[in-house]
Amino acid sequence: MTEIAPFIAVSLLQLVMIVILAPLVTGIVKKTKARFQRRRGASVLQPYYDLAKLFKKEVVIPPVSSWLFRFTPYLAFSSTLVIALLVPTVVAPVPLHWMGDIITVIYLFALVRFFVALVGLDTGSAFGGLGSSREMSIASIVEPAMMLAIFSAAGTAGSTNLSVIVQKLSTTPEAMLNPAHLLAFSGLFIVTLAETGRVPVDNPATHLELTMIHEAMILEYSGRYLAFIEWASQMKLAIFLALLSNIFFPVGIATVLTPWAVGIGVLAFLFKIGVLSLVVAAVESTNAKLRLFRVPELLMVAFILSLLALILYFIIGS
Amino acid sequence: MGIANLQSIGLVIDILAAAILVTAFLIVSSRNLVFYIRLFAIQSLLLGVVALLVVVGYGEMHILIAAILTIVIKAVAIPLVLTKIIERIQVQKEIDFSINITVSLLLCGGMVILADSVAQSILSVQRPDIPAVSRVLSVSIAMMLIGLFVMMTRKKALTQIIGLLTMENGVFLSGLSITYGMPLIVEVGIFFDILVAVLILGVFIFRINKTFDSISIDLLRSLRH
Amino acid sequence: MSDWPQLRLLILIVTVTGYSLGALLPPILSAIGRSRLHSGPAFDTFARNFGFTSALVSSLAGCALSISILLAGEPLHVEIQNTLPLGGMAIHVDMLSGFFLGTISLVGGAVSVYSLGYATELLQRRNMGFFLFMYNVFLLSMVGVVIAGHAVLFLFVWEGMSLATYFLISVEHEDPASRRAAFLYVVMAHVGTALLVVMFVILYSFTGSFDFATFKGIGSRLPGVVPSVVFLCALIGFGVKAGIVPLHIWLPEAHPAAPSNVSALMSGVMIKMGIYGMARVFFDFLGPTIPSWWGLLVLILAVTSSVLGVLYALMEHDLKRLLAFHSIENIGIILMGVGAALLFVSLGHAALAGIALVAALYHVLNHATFKGLLFLGAGSVLHATHTRNIENLGGLIRTMPWTSFFFLIGAVAISGLPPLNGFISEWLTFQALLLGFHIPDLAVKIAVPLTVALLALTGALAAACFVKAFGITFLGLPRSQHAEGAHESSPTMIGAMGFLVIICLVLGVVPGPVLFVVNSLVGALLGTNAAGQVSLNGGLLFVPTSALSSVAPTLLAGLLIGLIAIPVAAGLFLGGRMQKRVAMTWACGLQRIEPQMQYTATGFSKPIRMIFSTIYRATHEIEISEESSPYFRPNISYELKTESVFLKYFYDPALTLLVASAHLLRRIQTGRIQSYLAYIFITLVLLLLFAR
Repeated sequence: MTEIAPFIAVSLLQLVMIVILAPLVTGIVKKTKARFQRRRGASVLQPYYDLAKLFKKEVVIPPVSSWLFRFTPYLAFSSTLVIALLVPTVVAPVPLHWMGDIITVIYLFALVRFFVALVGLDTGSAFGGLGSSREMSIASIVEPAMMLAIFSAAGTAGSTNLSVIVQKLSTTPEAMLNPAHLLAFSGLFIVTLAETGRVPVDNPATHLELTMIHEAMILEYSGRYLAFIEWASQMKLAIFLALLSNIFFPVGIATVLTPWAVGIGVLAFLFKIGVLSLVVAAVESTNAKLRLFRVPELLMVAFILSLLALILYFIIGS
Repeated sequence: MGIANLQSIGLVIDILAAAILVTAFLIVSSRNLVFYIRLFAIQSLLLGVVALLVVVGYGEMHILIAAILTIVIKAVAIPLVLTKIIERIQVQKEIDFSINITVSLLLCGGMVILADSVAQSILSVQRPDIPAVSRVLSVSIAMMLIGLFVMMTRKKALTQIIGLLTMENGVFLSGLSITYGMPLIVEVGIFFDILVAVLILGVFIFRINKTFDSISIDLLRSLRH
Repeated sequence: MSDWPQLRLLILIVTVTGYSLGALLPPILSAIGRSRLHSGPAFDTFARNFGFTSALVSSLAGCALSISILLAGEPLHVEIQNTLPLGGMAIHVDMLSGFFLGTISLVGGAVSVYSLGYATELLQRRNMGFFLFMYNVFLLSMVGVVIAGHAVLFLFVWEGMSLATYFLISVEHEDPASRRAAFLYVVMAHVGTALLVVMFVILYSFTGSFDFATFKGIGSRLPGVVPSVVFLCALIGFGVKAGIVPLHIWLPEAHPAAPSNVSALMSGVMIKMGIYGMARVFFDFLGPTIPSWWGLLVLILAVTSSVLGVLYALMEHDLKRLLAFHSIENIGIILMGVGAALLFVSLGHAALAGIALVAALYHVLNHATFKGLLFLGAGSVLHATHTRNIENLGGLIRTMPWTSFFFLIGAVAISGLPPLNGFISEWLTFQALLLGFHIPDLAVKIAVPLTVALLALTGALAAACFVKAFGITFLGLPRSQHAEGAHESSPTMIGAMGFLVIICLVLGVVPGPVLFVVNSLVGALLGTNAAGQVSLNGGLLFVPTSALSSVAPTLLAGLLIGLIAIPVAAGLFLGGRMQKRVAMTWACGLQRIEPQMQYTATGFSKPIRMIFSTIYRATHEIEISEESSPYFRPNISYELKTESVFLKYFYDPALTLLVASAHLLRRIQTGRIQSYLAYIFITLVLLLLFAR
C-alpha cells in the first residue's frame, strides 16, 4: 500500500481481465462446441452483442416477486467483482490479497448462489423452485470435493491465501508435475464443470424442464437484470478457469511489476485460459449430460481424486 | 545412466503409477462394460510403458520381453477378445450392484490407505535409488485389493474377468517395483496362463448367456438343483 | 480502581436481585389480580411488563458485569461459608464465565424485550405469574451455572435450570405432544445430571473438596484411567444438554413444543451451557496432559452431529423443528473446534489449539445471536399465522416485511455467508483445521481433511435448508388461509429482532474487539503459548501459518456493498433509464399462476433426500381415497416418513432391555406379606453370619 498508483493500476487490470474477457471465454466455448457439431457457430464476440442488446431491453417484473428479485442481480455482479479482485490472473500477488483467501472466494460464490436460488422461489413459478432445489442439492455435494481439492493445493503452500499459493508454486516449477497436483487438478476440473453448470452436470443451453438447473432459477429475468446475471455467470467460468490455471500451472505469471513481466503475464494468462476453454468445450461436446441422480457419482470421483492426492502424497508420502 | 536421468524417469514412473490407479478407480465408478475394457487397455498400456522405462533406467533386458508381452497381449489382444464377446452377447451395462457406486468408491479410497501402510511396513529398508518405489508398491497393492473388490461386488461375469485382470496387473507392477521384475520364465508362464484363462472364460460367458439369457452370476446358483 | 471489585460485586447483586424480583413478584401480582374481578387484567398486564422488564434490567447488568470481567482480566471471587450442605458456596467469575455470561445476557435481554409483545397472546390463556416465575428462574439459573465456583452450587443451579425448562416446555399442557416432549426432556436431562454427579464425586474423592479452585489443573495428578472416566462423564453429561448425536433426541421435540421466546433461549443459550461445562472440565480441570483419543472422539461426535443434524433439518417442514435440528448441527461445528483444540493440546501444539478454541467460542456467541434471531422470527410467524407448517405459508414478505428481512439476515448468517458473523467463525474453524495438517501424527492427517470436507458439506447443506425455509415461508404466493391473514409483528418484537440483527452485522463486519477479548480468554485458559494467535491488525484477521492467511471483514463488507455502484452505473450507461413493465410469471400458457403450482418444501428437498437415501431410509405412503368416478380423484394423501435411526437402533433396544430387566426384578415383589418377612429374615441372618 506504499504506492497507490501501481495498486490501482493492477486492480483495474485484474478487473478488466475478468470482466471484459468473460464473455469472450463463453464465446470461445460456444464456438468450439459448434465446430464439434460441424456447424459454423456464432462469432466468438456474440455474447458481447447479446449483453449489449439485453441492456437496452425493458425489464419485466412479476407482481408476485419482492425486493429480492430487483436486488439480486446487482448483488451477484458486485460479489463476483469482489472475487475478481482476489483471484490472481496476470500478477501475483494481487494488491488486495490480504482481503480474502480461497475460502472467502468459495463462500462469496455461495452467497451469490443463495440469493439467486431465493429468487427462483420468489417468482412463484414451479420452474424456479425446480432450479433452486436442484442447484442447492448439487452445490451441497460439490463443496466437499472443491474444499478437498483446494486443501491439497493449500497444504503444499502452507496457506490458504491465493496469491501465496500461486507465488510459491511459480518459484518451484518442478512441483507442477507432482502427481498430487495433477490429481488435484483433475478433481478441481470436474468441480469446475459442476459449479459453472456445464455438461455433464447441467446444460447451459437448454430450457427444458427435464434438464435445466441454473437456467430455471433465472427464467423470469429479462433486460438488464438478465444481463447482469448472465455476465456474472460468465465471470464465474472465467474465474474458475483462472483458478485452475494459476493454482496448478502458474507459468509466466508476473511476480514483479515491470511492463515486460506484466506483458508476459497477460500473454500467458490469455494462452492458458484459451487452452482451458477449448478443453472445457471438448469435454462438453464428447459427453452426454448425466441424469440428476448420477451427478453424485461423478462428484464422488472428483472427491476421490483429491483424496488420492492427499493420501498418496501428503499423508503417507512425506 | 546419470542420476538426473534416473530422477526424471522416477518422476514419470510416479505420474504413470498415479494414472494407473486412477484407471482402476474409474473402473469402479462406471457402469459401462465397454468402458471397462477400454480402461483396462489403457491401464495395461501404461503398465507396459512403466516396464519400458524400468528397462531404460536399469538396463534389465528380461523385462523388455515382459513389457512387450504386456502391451501386445494385455493392451491389444485381450481387449479385442473381450470386445468380441460383448458384441456377441449384447450386454452393455452393469445394472445391479451389491454396494452402490458412491460407497464402493469410498471403500476403495480406504483400501488405498491400507495398501500404503502395508507398503510402508514392507519397505522398512528404504531403497535410496528409486524415490518413488514406495508409492508404486502401494499403488500395486491397492490395485490388487481393488481388483478383488470389483470381483466381489459386481454381478456380471465379464466384470469378474476385468477384476481378475486388474489384480494381475497389480501383481506385475509390484514385481517391477521391488525386484525389477520376476524371472522371465515366470512372466511368460503367467502371460500364457492369462491368455488361455481369458479364452476359456470367454467360452464360458457365451455358454452362460445361452443358458440363462444373461451373464449375471447370481443365476449360477440355480445350477445346484 | 480499588473499588472495581466492589462495583462488580454490586452489579452481580443487581443481576441476581433483578431476576429474583422478576420471578417472585409477578405470581403474587397475578394472584391478587385473579382475586379481584375488575382490575384483574390490569394486574396481569402489569405483572407481565414488570417480569420481563426486570429480566431485561438484569440482563443489562449481566452484560455490564461480563464486559468488566473480560476487559479487566481478573476474576471475581466471592465465598460465603456454610450456606449449603457439603461445604460453602463459592462464586468464581473468570474470563470464560464472563464470556458465557455476556452471551446469556445479550440474548436474554433481546428475548425479554421480544416477550413484552409476544406474551400478549399467552396472557389470555395461561397463568402469567407462573410463566414469569419459571422464566426468570430459568435465566437466573443459567447465570448461576456460569458463575458457580463450587460443585454443589453448580449442580443445584443446573437442576434448577432443567426443572424450570421442564415447566416452560409444558406451558401448552393440553397437547399430548407437548407433555411427551417435556417428559422426554426431563428424563434425558436427569441422565446427564446423574453422570455429572458421578464426575464431581470422583473429583471430590481425589481432592477432598468440591471447590472448583481445587479442581483446576487436577488432570495431571489423577492416576491411570481416572482422567478418562472423568472426561467421558463430562462428555456424556454435558453432551446431553448440548444435544450431541446420539444424545440429541429430546431437542427436536422440546424446542418446538415450548413457546417461541423460550425456544430462542433454549436453543441460543441453554445448550451452550453444555459447551461451557465441557470447556471448564476439559481445559480448566483436566489440564494440558491429555491423551489424543479424546480429541478424536470429540471430532467424530462433532462431525456426526453436524452432518446428521443438517440432513434431518432438511426433511422437516415444521419451522421450529427445522431450527432445532440446526442447533444440533451448529453444536457439531462448535465441537469441531473444541475437538481440534483437544487434539492439538494433546500433541503439544498449544498455539494451534488456541486458534481452534477461539473459533469454537466465537461460534458460540454467533450461534446464540443468529439462532435467537431465527427463533424469534419463527415466533413472529407463528404469532401471525397460527401455524408452524411451512407448507401452508408463503408470501409473508409482503405482509411482514420487517420480520422477513430480519429472518433473511439470520438465514444468511447461519449459512456462514460473508459478510455476516457465521462466516467469520466458520473461516476460523477451517483455518484451525488446515493448520493441523502439518502435525506428523497419522490419525490427525486422516482426520483433518475428512473434517474439512464434512464441514464444507454441512455449510452447503445448511444454505440449502435455509433457502428452503426462507423461500417457502416468505416468498411466492400464500399457500393457505393462514398465510393470507398474516400481519406484521408488534414493535417490541421487531425491536428485539432488529437488535439481534445489528449484533450479527457488527460481529461479522467488525469482529475485532470481541475476537481480541476471546483471544486473551483462550490464553488464560490454555496457557500463554496460545494467546495472541488470532490477531487483528488494522482491520485484518490474521492467522499465523508459514505464510499469511487473512481476511479483512470490514473492507470485504464495504466493497460488497460499495461495488454495487458499478453495475448500477453500467446499467445507466449501457441502457439508459430502466423501463419496467409488470407481467405475471410464466405459467406455461395458463392465465395466471396458482399457489398450488409453486414448489413445496417436501419437493424442494427431494433431490437431497434421494442423494442421501442410505441415511434417510425414507418410506412414503400414497393413499388414494375412494371416489365414485375413476377419472377424477380429488383426494390423494402422501405421507413421507424418514426413519429415526437413533430411536430405532439405539434407544429402543436399550429401553427394551431396561424394561425386560425391570420385569425380571419385579418377581421379588410377590405381594404376599410372608415373602417380604422372609426377605427381612434372610437378610438379618446373613448379616449376623458375616458381620461378626
